[in-house]
Amino acid sequence: MSSFYLTNLVLVQATITGLLLALSIQVPIRMGVFSFAGAGAYGFGCYAGAILVLDYQMAAVPTIVITGLLAGLVVLVVGLLIAKLNGLYLAMATVAFCLIISVVAINGGELTGGSTGRYGVISDFTMGHMFAIGAIALVLVALSERGKLGRRVDAVREDPELAASMGINVRRYRLVAFAVSGVLGGVAGAMNILVRSAVSPLDIGFPLIVLALTMIIVGGSLSWKGAVIGALIFTWLPDLLAVVGEWQELIYGIIVAIAAVLLPRGLYGVYVDTKRSVLRRRRQEATDKATAQTPPPTSTGDTTDIDRLAPEMEAQR
Amino acid sequence: MQDVLSVVSLGSIYLLFALGMSLTWGTIDVLNFSHGSIFMFSTFTAYLLLGSTALPFLAVVAVAVAVGALMSVLIQVLAFEQIIKRARTKKNAEMQILIGGIGIAIIPLAIAQHHTKSNPFGLRESSFSVDTWVVGDLRITNIAVMTIIVALVLWLALALWLRRSRNGLALRAIGVDAEVASLMGVDRRRLALVTMAVAGGLAGLAGVLFTFTLGAITPESGDTLLVKAFAIIILGGVGSMRGVAFGAYFLAACEVWVLTQTSGSWVEAVSFGLIFIVLLIRPAGVFGRKEVRRT
Amino acid sequence: MSGFMGGSQRRMAFGAIVTASVLGLSACGSVSGGGGPQASDELPDTIKVVSINPTTGVVAFAGEAANKGYELAIKEINEQDYLEGTTIEIDYVDTKSEPQTAAQEMTKATAGGEVSAVFGSVSSNEAVAMSPLAEQRQMPTIYTQAGSDGVVVGDYTYRATPLMREYYPLLKQYIEETGAQSLGIIYTEATPTLQDIGSNTLPAMAEELGIEITASVGTQATTQDFSAPISQVLGSEPDLVSVLLVGAANPTAMTQLRQAGYDGPVLGNSGASAGNLDPAGEAGNGMVWAADFNYQMSATSSQEFVEAYNEEFGEDPLNYAAEAYDAAWFLARSLKEAQSADRESVKDAMATVAEESFDGALGEGLTWVDNDLQVPGVVIEYSTDGEILLYEGEPAAAE
Repeated sequence: MSSFYLTNLVLVQATITGLLLALSIQVPIRMGVFSFAGAGAYGFGCYAGAILVLDYQMAAVPTIVITGLLAGLVVLVVGLLIAKLNGLYLAMATVAFCLIISVVAINGGELTGGSTGRYGVISDFTMGHMFAIGAIALVLVALSERGKLGRRVDAVREDPELAASMGINVRRYRLVAFAVSGVLGGVAGAMNILVRSAVSPLDIGFPLIVLALTMIIVGGSLSWKGAVIGALIFTWLPDLLAVVGEWQELIYGIIVAIAAVLLPRGLYGVYVDTKRSVLRRRRQEATDKATAQTPPPTSTGDTTDIDRLAPEMEAQR
Repeated sequence: MQDVLSVVSLGSIYLLFALGMSLTWGTIDVLNFSHGSIFMFSTFTAYLLLGSTALPFLAVVAVAVAVGALMSVLIQVLAFEQIIKRARTKKNAEMQILIGGIGIAIIPLAIAQHHTKSNPFGLRESSFSVDTWVVGDLRITNIAVMTIIVALVLWLALALWLRRSRNGLALRAIGVDAEVASLMGVDRRRLALVTMAVAGGLAGLAGVLFTFTLGAITPESGDTLLVKAFAIIILGGVGSMRGVAFGAYFLAACEVWVLTQTSGSWVEAVSFGLIFIVLLIRPAGVFGRKEVRRT
Repeated sequence: MSGFMGGSQRRMAFGAIVTASVLGLSACGSVSGGGGPQASDELPDTIKVVSINPTTGVVAFAGEAANKGYELAIKEINEQDYLEGTTIEIDYVDTKSEPQTAAQEMTKATAGGEVSAVFGSVSSNEAVAMSPLAEQRQMPTIYTQAGSDGVVVGDYTYRATPLMREYYPLLKQYIEETGAQSLGIIYTEATPTLQDIGSNTLPAMAEELGIEITASVGTQATTQDFSAPISQVLGSEPDLVSVLLVGAANPTAMTQLRQAGYDGPVLGNSGASAGNLDPAGEAGNGMVWAADFNYQMSATSSQEFVEAYNEEFGEDPLNYAAEAYDAAWFLARSLKEAQSADRESVKDAMATVAEESFDGALGEGLTWVDNDLQVPGVVIEYSTDGEILLYEGEPAAAE
């Protein structure tokens, strides 16, 4: 294996866990649920993974599967409790959930190791597992952005009342968002503990929320590609900035601030805009050449209303 | 009784800190996550000045308030106004402002950390000295008395200003519907700048009083308060002046109560657990306006 | 002491797991680099080491001081030509006070072929992230500070700082002299070391001395105002108060203790040193703590270090610098013993050298027990005129 890969293994691993963490916050945001519970699930996943491996001698894959399911369940229960909250009120409730996880970690006695945390979590986890799990999660999330499902998700976010009037069970979608976010966060946490081998209460909590949010806002909040961009940048940027020495934190702050100010839809938004304007120019040229040869295809009767509605919303964005 | 006093003085600090954040959030939709940084940096500037000259108390306060207001206005002009200009929807602007604030907050923090190496710094060189008064069994410091009075007076003054004055009315109008307010001739930009300046000044004031109370703070002190202030405002209901006062004293009471009744380990779980439960009962905060949806 | 035994048992168990997994990994041949300088019969012209320590972020003050200690020691080693024709070259890498960066830098150091040994981070959190990598990829690593479990986990990891619970009982003599019959404790649950002292070591000391503990309150990392825990502890009317908090919280706690009307001595921890207590002014007077080092220590080897440090940097050294200085000299002795710069030889030589006691910045007759350093220790009282050395412990080797 190349020496670059070996030298930067920790960053490669952090990119994958960071990506899953970012997705765990992005998935609910895409459905209009402003929930940070994914970060709490991440903390939960770190500890659950450590406990399963250390106290139950479990192998890597079952540990990740069980942790993911447990985290999904926990966050789903939280979601059921707070489903009627909205916007930043819901966000606050999920922040409270994350902080409570941290306090439980400090007070969990032998199980969580108090302020020392758990360490020495070594299992049969390989990078192959990690790449596979990361890829599966990414493909599943990407699929939820396409076709009918994708359009329904957009509708639930942009106009819940309209979506409900079209027969979409908005409440169920939002609960699924919680569960998915829990699973993603839990899996990210479990993978983190398996590659890093140690977790302490200081490693989980509020800074995770800030990191994940920064990734998806700067990357782009409405597409998995934005999360990928964000995870890549904010995992590798600190390492690249190391060359500037003692003022790297300052420059990091300036970069985040500038990105937030100048790129309202994140870097992915910039990419989409550029692509769109290039396409438009080409289409313009094409129309200039051949003026209206074929009429646009009319929609067939069997598509639902929501399916016809969605492209318009796409255009609005 | 001493515990009640602890609650009131701790709650007053929280109130003073949260007041500025609540003001900008409730009126001009700016949830400023660099508030903690402004709080810290204005005190830090005062500390640097004290290194060269011994200033009296009021001068220290004046410096911190001025620096806080200036920073706040600068952030509004350089960052938040630009964000609002570019954002497609109000919702996006709010998110963008939140992240922008987080990014900006790193800048003063990095400067202060670099200078102090994250060691605590205080304002001991000021000619002001903290005295303790003993009344019966109670002990209270002059700075605690001052903090309580200042917090309550400023809170009351702000509440009255919002309710009675023309500018206050205009601000509240923006908070409810910015478009309509504009149509009715409200100069949003000027009002927003004034609001940010007031909020920044409050942060500077809170910083100085907090530092005199504790003896010293670290560059990271502001971050801790930020999460608490966020909780306080949400708990009371965004945009409600009664709410922010309720939230501040409620959180302080929770913390002191858990600390004195148990061995202290569960402080945050209990206080944030209670906030969680209160939100379940009152989804828009205790004094929240139901009709205004902020998603 | 039972807590310590538990710790070392767990450590050994973990060492076994690491070894097993390293074997498993090298069978696959994927991760275990087996890199580093080649084994030979003599030392090369230059030997590369890396200090992976925080010089920015929340624990920068400790990391910077430690780096000064390394710098001074390595300068001396090279100038004295201690390794006979071989010089040590040191790189300083910043962890930014973040465990992930620390782990990443450790990986870089092990993946490159040149580094013979690493000086690990002062921060427990970072060290715990580095240690599994050090063992897995067989990199000799010497830490300072980093007093948590999970740092010293096998043959490759050493810690040139005694655990606080080893020297904290030195304070027993002081407590007896005060004649106190009862004790109230305020401690932070945010750091393993202070939580351990507050909830285990100090209660055990009190029991030995026949002192009653009237109240014990734990605080969180986010607690900034200590007036409530203080009034609770003072409400139980103890003769003596102990405040075990991280550096920055000490001036606040002392100020508020004095405001609450307590004028007696306060048992603290070395987090109060290094100027951290200065913002409290007069209120800080009377805080007493045990430490592994103070620049006023009487041992000849300590005084030589203090003098050299003063000459180099124009200030009195902190304990972080003293620990790092001893760590660097320990490595130098091991390199001389190894007569080879490859990592495995260095590891074996460290084990041999660790069997001897030595004189260093931290005092005379210093010994290694289970890869941890044992020191005599000192008891310090804070005063606005400067720290006062009350008394010193006996060299561990003499016991």
